[in-house]
Amino acid sequence: MDIVLRAIVLYAFVVFVMRVIGRRELSSMTPFDLVLLIVLGDAIQQGLTQDDYSVTGAILAVATIATLQVFTSYVSYRSKKARTVLEGEPIVLIDHGQIVERNLKRERMTEDEVAEEMRQQQIASLDDVDWAIIEANGAISFIKKN
Amino acid sequence: MAGIPHQIVLKRDRDLEGRGWQIWVRRGLFLLLPILALLGLLNLFGQHPTTTTKAAGAASLKLYAPPRVRSGLIYQARFHIRAQLELKQATLVLSPGWLESMTLNTVEPSPVNEASDNGRLSLDLGHIPAGSTYLLFMQFQTNPTNVGHRDASVTLKDGDQTLLQIHRTITVFP
Repeated sequence: MDIVLRAIVLYAFVVFVMRVIGRRELSSMTPFDLVLLIVLGDAIQQGLTQDDYSVTGAILAVATIATLQVFTSYVSYRSKKARTVLEGEPIVLIDHGQIVERNLKRERMTEDEVAEEMRQQQIASLDDVDWAIIEANGAISFIKKN
Repeated sequence: MAGIPHQIVLKRDRDLEGRGWQIWVRRGLFLLLPILALLGLLNLFGQHPTTTTKAAGAASLKLYAPPRVRSGLIYQARFHIRAQLELKQATLVLSPGWLESMTLNTVEPSPVNEASDNGRLSLDLGHIPAGSTYLLFMQFQTNPTNVGHRDASVTLKDGDQTLLQIHRTITVFP
């Protein structure tokens, strides 16, 4: 029983952490982020299964997490309010070629980081961008000028 | 120029109207994470040991053990008995909380005898001459399913006579 409870608590905590650290931290994947991800996974695993090496324990943990993931997804699908809480909403970073400074600040982003994201999407200049929107998953969508 | 992207509402997504408070909620909730870490540093979740000392006319007992532990972790309790007077049959009596869902790895030195004292674990340590000390080490591991708050008091006896008692509890975090 306790392994299911541990899985629920840890899942809720991970969802909480992912939401409060901000979307930029979610989308970037530097080598250091990759190391952190592995360390986090290891820390969670220790608390989740502890000394339980059984197949039954592993199945219970995975089944609980999978159920919670589908449940979260379903709640997000059914309720706009829940979607806002669980996933967040997009934020406009560039409006008709003009950077919206206030929104950049809110997302702890610099113009250099926006430029870096543009280059990764084969956009050389801000003059080519009509809209830039940071999506709920932390990715930045660029819409070029016609 | 392209029009406003589909499903983007400028007032909401650019001007952040009605969303100004969200960032403060997020920052407030984020604050819980460093607070948790700080509480951990302050030993709220164990398992730094503390020293509890109790003295009576015939002997004193110093207990060095963590009052808060976390499931799965190994810890030690050290009992330091100093006999002011001769103890013919020194006996440590431990409340059930010491052993409830705890794995007792070792007791060193081994007691002369072990028994149940009205449901409590009674360790007969034998003779302790006046002016000498007796050190007892116990090593435990908290079982992962053991969560809660339990009585972990200790009583020092000489035969049937109670010399002193340390009232304490142990808290096990999940």
